[in-house]
Amino acid sequence: MQLKAKAPPAMPGLRRMLATAATGLLAGAHAQAQEPPAEVPTTTIDTGLLYYHENGRVSAIEPDFNLTQQIDDNSTLSLGFTVDSVTGPTPLGAVPSTLPQSYVHPYKVIPLGTPVTVTTASGGSVVTLVPPATGATTQTLSATRTVPPNTYPLDTTFKDLRYAANAGWQQVLGAGVTVNGGLAYSKEHDYRSESVNFGVSKDLNQHNTTLNAGVNYESDLSFPLGGTPTPLTVMSGDWKGPDASRSEVDAVLGLTQVMTRRWISSLSYSYSESHGYQNDPYKIISVVDPVSGQPVSQLYENRPGVRQKQSLYLENKVHLSRDIVEFDLRGYRDDWGIKSVTADLRYRYMLPGNAYLEPHARYYQQGAANFFDYYLVGGQPLPQYASADTRLAKFRALTYGLKFGMPLDENSEFNIRIEYYDQSGDGSPAFAIGQLRQQNLFPALTAVTVLLGYSYAF
Amino acid sequence: MAEPAMSLNADPLQAAVDDHIYFSKEGSSGGRSFAGGGCGCN
Repeated sequence: MQLKAKAPPAMPGLRRMLATAATGLLAGAHAQAQEPPAEVPTTTIDTGLLYYHENGRVSAIEPDFNLTQQIDDNSTLSLGFTVDSVTGPTPLGAVPSTLPQSYVHPYKVIPLGTPVTVTTASGGSVVTLVPPATGATTQTLSATRTVPPNTYPLDTTFKDLRYAANAGWQQVLGAGVTVNGGLAYSKEHDYRSESVNFGVSKDLNQHNTTLNAGVNYESDLSFPLGGTPTPLTVMSGDWKGPDASRSEVDAVLGLTQVMTRRWISSLSYSYSESHGYQNDPYKIISVVDPVSGQPVSQLYENRPGVRQKQSLYLENKVHLSRDIVEFDLRGYRDDWGIKSVTADLRYRYMLPGNAYLEPHARYYQQGAANFFDYYLVGGQPLPQYASADTRLAKFRALTYGLKFGMPLDENSEFNIRIEYYDQSGDGSPAFAIGQLRQQNLFPALTAVTVLLGYSYAF
Repeated sequence: MAEPAMSLNADPLQAAVDDHIYFSKEGSSGGRSFAGGGCGCN
């Protein structure tokens, strides 16, 4: 199945360099056709600017910067940096009510006796002083928000700034063997993540088959504003517990095969196991009256301390006479009970001058985690685990998008992509109690993303 | 087939952006590569 090299593309430098960068950032290299020797740039800068906006929820702006430097014929260095600024309302996890509801969380720790002049915090919260315990040298300010009747409870104070960086190295060892390794780090005001990865790939069958394997270890630390709450205790303005850690090991095995002169396919199996603190410290779950359905208390959520995830990922790219079609499928399951399927389709329609239009459609469907509940019912024994985070609920999501790309000259390309995301679940479950029957327990989530991209090779 | 656009990860920056968005809004993640730099997203 030896491939014949085609005529050099119109933008040999940039495109070839981007492909090198792509290979280096994957857990393992993929089979690719052999190319004729050519003068290639040694440096590629790949930049992006993302604007993300949810209808009535969070918005984010995210600049991305990637640098790929070819050190020699066998060595490639890659560096990446991202800043992610997020702000806007995010769901608390509580159910709406026909009555006004108040939510409280710790806001700040101050030395005992400090005069308090602050009366409001961001998001329109009212700040109050929590009475200190006997002998305490500090005391806590708490922020209380009131949610109007028949309104889905949101945390209006949410804002975050995340920095993320990564570095990778790819080394061709010869005999079709390539190794790669990398480090990644990210930091938010309440979360830190560090990870290290290593991968190896082996080309076979005249570069038409590639086997790859990779492992990743991640260590995270959560230090929520107000401390880490004790799971399934009542929401309060008191300062909570110390920082909480989590670790994760991931492994990937993959097979990439050139199927025909125009079709390449890859199948990957992934296994992931995480231990430690997996809760969202800001999420709560309502306990409701068994008859009226009115919330009587709010508890901090609790998730299992271990999670095992598996997925099977199938990628396909087919080069038609002019255009390119990509079709991906993913099957996923974990021991929390979540099962999901994802189908992703892109069609690159080539325009004159090597510009292109690329429509995109994605379908996603997941089942609920076995400890997901919209609410807990008062008077019944507390479960060991419970979360009302709708990301763990049963739902489906659709994405529609369109991308336009055009070369600016031989070494640079500009592209813009606009996408619409629509996530919907069951907002009116048949088992809802009392007043909850008239509430929407899963408001649809819609979002628009605009991604600008610019790449330059030299 | 020799065109870089036929590489299975021809646009790693776009793939990383997508993975991050879906990771923060859905219950399942990963599959083709390591996410790297995980976060406690909302």
